[in-house]
Amino acid sequence: MPKVYLTGIGFITSIGNDVATVARSLRELRHGIEVYAPFQKPEIPVKVAAPVKGFQTDSVDCEDWTYPERYRVKREVLRGMGPNTLYAYCAMQQAIEDAKLSEADWSNDETGLYAASGGSPYLLGHLMQKMHTQGVMRCSPLGIVAAIAGTVNFNLVAHFKIKGASTGFSSACASSSHAAGFAYDEIALGRQKRMFVVGAEDGNLDSILPFAGMRALSLQTDPAKASRPFDVARDGFVGTGGATVLVLESEDEVARRGVQPYCELAGWGQASDGHNVAISHPEGSGLRLAMERALKATGVSPEEVDYINAHATSTPIGDVSEAKAIHAIFSPSGARPLVSSTKALTGHGLSLAGAMETGFCALALRDGFIPGSANITEVDPACADLAIPQKTEEKQARVVLNNSSGFGGANVSLVLKRV
Amino acid sequence: MADVAEQGQKSREPGLAKPQTFSADDESALRETLKRCSPSTIEAAIAFRKTRDPEKVPTVVIGVIERFVEPDIRPKLREGDDELRLVEDLGVDSLTMMEIVILVEDVLQMQINNDELRNLRTVGDIKTFIDCKIRGLPLPKPTRHLPVEQIAAVMPIQPPFLFLNEASIGGQGATAKYKITGQEFFLQGHFKDNPVMPASMMLEALGQLGVLALIEGIIPSEDGRPVDPKTIFFTSCEGVRCHRVCKPGDVLTLSVKPKRAKMPLATFEGTIRVGQEKAAIAEEITLTFGYAEAVATPPNAEATGSGASSGNAEAGQNPAPGASEAAAFTPLRELPA
Repeated sequence: MPKVYLTGIGFITSIGNDVATVARSLRELRHGIEVYAPFQKPEIPVKVAAPVKGFQTDSVDCEDWTYPERYRVKREVLRGMGPNTLYAYCAMQQAIEDAKLSEADWSNDETGLYAASGGSPYLLGHLMQKMHTQGVMRCSPLGIVAAIAGTVNFNLVAHFKIKGASTGFSSACASSSHAAGFAYDEIALGRQKRMFVVGAEDGNLDSILPFAGMRALSLQTDPAKASRPFDVARDGFVGTGGATVLVLESEDEVARRGVQPYCELAGWGQASDGHNVAISHPEGSGLRLAMERALKATGVSPEEVDYINAHATSTPIGDVSEAKAIHAIFSPSGARPLVSSTKALTGHGLSLAGAMETGFCALALRDGFIPGSANITEVDPACADLAIPQKTEEKQARVVLNNSSGFGGANVSLVLKRV
Repeated sequence: MADVAEQGQKSREPGLAKPQTFSADDESALRETLKRCSPSTIEAAIAFRKTRDPEKVPTVVIGVIERFVEPDIRPKLREGDDELRLVEDLGVDSLTMMEIVILVEDVLQMQINNDELRNLRTVGDIKTFIDCKIRGLPLPKPTRHLPVEQIAAVMPIQPPFLFLNEASIGGQGATAKYKITGQEFFLQGHFKDNPVMPASMMLEALGQLGVLALIEGIIPSEDGRPVDPKTIFFTSCEGVRCHRVCKPGDVLTLSVKPKRAKMPLATFEGTIRVGQEKAAIAEEITLTFGYAEAVATPPNAEATGSGASSGNAEAGQNPAPGASEAAAFTPLRELPA
């Protein structure tokens, strides 16, 4: 099977809107969390979030939106987008530039796009309200395209003239890792030469606050303490949005184009908890199996894994489940890979998380560092046997795992290798 | 919620002719709705809502269209050319058309049905359509648009002597475009090293549009018989004046309007423009015509005729005008609105 390489990244994230800024934020553990203005109401107990910077997408009217000057988006393009799609559109332009692709490279039968997004609950809510109050014929013609969960793939595939495989993934917080895994398969099976993998979320009030009902959000008011995976006092996740686009290419394409990849995407594994619709298995059974399968598929032994970018979102139950799954795989052989959760810096990006953190792993592999797990005051004793660096380590990893888990107990583990 | 919904329903009821109260709240809501339109559009819309003066409507409609087209195309719209085509000239796709319709409905408090939209192809079509709706007049017979293939299929005149690239037949008259390619045979000697479309050919082009208009039934016959293409000939013209030299690359916009018609004569007035510039006018062009022998073919046979015209290769390659031709174009004219 042909090898698959990651050759380009585009980031619109709470910790930076380009590769260089994101790499610096990861290395220096600069977080993107702030006291979020739309939450500052007495009836909203959640106070912090990690919104993207440089964009203003608060209005239901996309023509009110502002975005960094380097991007130009025509009205007829913008009208079919939710905020998440705009972020993805901008990240796509970055990724294309970063991978040094020409239009002939990306708009052809051999190039596809897999995306993940929760859609735009915010726009959907507006659309429904307008329909009920003003009548069905007064809905914006492209409202539905802008609002539903496929909006990112609809828009990017059409506007970038993608001709190959395309679809969207909907496994909540595992979605864009699923997208990356199946994109890997497309190339490894020889069906496509190149795949774009996109994760995107609005990361605004309407996409974040519904998680308050299940008590999944941190109620901390201090942005520097709110997201602290593996800390004994963690109290929930911090919401974020934005987009990440990854460019995956076959080894032949990498050779033909003569580009230097960030890393290899060596393979992946997935498995399900079969346990609860929203709560992870207490022993992390599905995630454990996903990691085992990922290692088996790539022929990697537990001892060879240098770093795990954990899913750990800073919720009391989830972080421990993952710690147990990691323990079960690595401890028997005495392997102690470094484990950190970059969600301490970014918050939890839901459908965006998998692609974003795969991008982070690619930077760690290219630049030779392991991002620390920030904001820990006291490690949860239940996670004490993991090697959790609290500061960034200057260390060149060779093999990295990126874990993601979603609602329904869906789990994905991706294996990345240094080139 | 229920109250709001009910109000919403009420505000969309036709009742267009009678002025309704227009409060300060209504005005600020209207200003918000039109916030991306030009000030003159907003003022015209406010004036319309206060007075129901139909004269304000074109400004509102053009202002709404302008708001949705890309900025670099807006100057075209300001030239006031009713022949501007929504799709080809203004880049308005069907989704943008829906956005335009929703805003126009909202601002003018009227309802436009999907089937009414299909026939709107030019800015002029929209203006006429909205004007009729507002005034409560019957809607004009929808304009029909004929691409060059369809024109060539019905016309007795054929290339290289056919000077109509596309045409629209409406209730009030017919329009067409012709682009001077530079390859026309008559340009070789007209003039030496200086190709200019002869005035006689410009007149010929206008006459051809008159022929097409006759064939397409712009003058209704009393007994439903179609005009027989092979009976149409030029008779006379009056008051011809040329204002502009037309050269290769120029796109002629031709238009003819019937002035009077009584078998066997039909008189049109005709004009040719290039962009906004007047190129030529003919106060009167008169053609003679006759009706086909047979009465209109019954519906069943029409359907057959239509099928034959598109499916019969022989007829397609050699569109000799005749009775069978007449049957072939009959259904065209009788397409539902």
